[in-house]
Amino acid sequence: MKIACTINGKRVEMDIDPRLRLLDMLRETLHLTGTKEGCGEGECGACTVLMDGAAVNSCLVPAPQADGTEILTIEGLAEDGTLHPIQQAYVDTGGVQCGFCTPGFIMATYALLLESPDPTEEEILSGLEGNLCRCTGYSKIVEAVHLAAERMRKVA
Amino acid sequence: MHYQRLASERELLDGLAQPHAAILCGGTDAMIKIRAGLLNPSLVLDVSRIESLRGIRRNGDAVEIGAATSETEILRSPLVRDTLPLLGQVLVQLGSVQIRNRGTLGGNIVNASPAADSAIPLLLFDTEIQIVDRSEERWMPLESFFIGPGKTALESGQFIRTLRIPIPREGGGSSFHKVGKRNALTIAIASLGSLIWTTEGTISEARLAVGSVAPTPARLRSVESALRGRMLDDALVADARQLITSSISPISDVRASAEYRKNVIGDLLVRALEAL
Repeated sequence: MKIACTINGKRVEMDIDPRLRLLDMLRETLHLTGTKEGCGEGECGACTVLMDGAAVNSCLVPAPQADGTEILTIEGLAEDGTLHPIQQAYVDTGGVQCGFCTPGFIMATYALLLESPDPTEEEILSGLEGNLCRCTGYSKIVEAVHLAAERMRKVA
Repeated sequence: MHYQRLASERELLDGLAQPHAAILCGGTDAMIKIRAGLLNPSLVLDVSRIESLRGIRRNGDAVEIGAATSETEILRSPLVRDTLPLLGQVLVQLGSVQIRNRGTLGGNIVNASPAADSAIPLLLFDTEIQIVDRSEERWMPLESFFIGPGKTALESGQFIRTLRIPIPREGGGSSFHKVGKRNALTIAIASLGSLIWTTEGTISEARLAVGSVAPTPARLRSVESALRGRMLDDALVADARQLITSSISPISDVRASAEYRKNVIGDLLVRALEAL
């Protein structure tokens, strides 16, 4: 099945097996392996990407539905080797430990800050409720979101 | 497996006439079932871009929501916020941001989980759903649509176009409480929603709906009528607790025992009444 979409700012046209999930298309077809598969059932959020600006579990999106959309993955954030402020904030606060959940958390954070550039603690918790981390205990992650928001507001 | 992205209801009706066709919209349930082998369609009908199945509008004394409208869109609707606040209060607790960006009320309803949170406010509002097939379009109360766990009155060749949610008259006190293990993405062990009107301390109308304690989400009509006309006092709260626990027969499963579920429902009703 032929589809065309924009992935990380680049126009992509391809012929895909319609049984693929968006997650498979990203990882297997396009070799964008930054997006991770955790549970494969929409519970853990490790596979979170943005589809037309909204966070989605790429494990639950049939690849054909990507047709005509704009997809943003973790690979689309850094520019010219410089980490995105959200990525840098996760590094600086220790919000990254084993790192497996990190791409999903960062994409969920990206979607959250698009909507609320200055989120309250409560908004952060509900914005990240679909993501699980087994290492950090979450407090460093919440700190990272506050820090990223602060730095991004200064730039803006 | 073939995949068709549909642009119109006509294409959908044609697709549904094919053998082993299944409707997919947000994929939050269907994708899991397909991968687990619980659903083996030879044709997947993607309805997510059929315009006539989407949108939120006011029609007289009701709000109509297209079956393929995402939960996030519903949460952002000023009309829903103003006229059906309980619906927003429940949807915001449903799944996670990622799930709500994709999940739909049509999908929730057809999935017919006994634990479906969204069914609770919809039942309290006396929601009707519009069922469409080749020969007719008809409205059916949501209450009679649910038949059993995962079973609905939807027949082969049919789809749901719209949900019609009558706006309740002003002055009612509403509540929704669920008990589960995690706030996000939790499957409720038990849930209870209520919509109760009082006049000078007396209950003039009570609507109660429960989840995870029966084969389908359900209204508790017998308890509702027993509450009507009663003074809202401590004696009533005690009686209501007794009555609701004896009127449900939940099962024991991996999530909780039947006895625990009965107690939880009793406590949730007490909480709802005490908040009035």
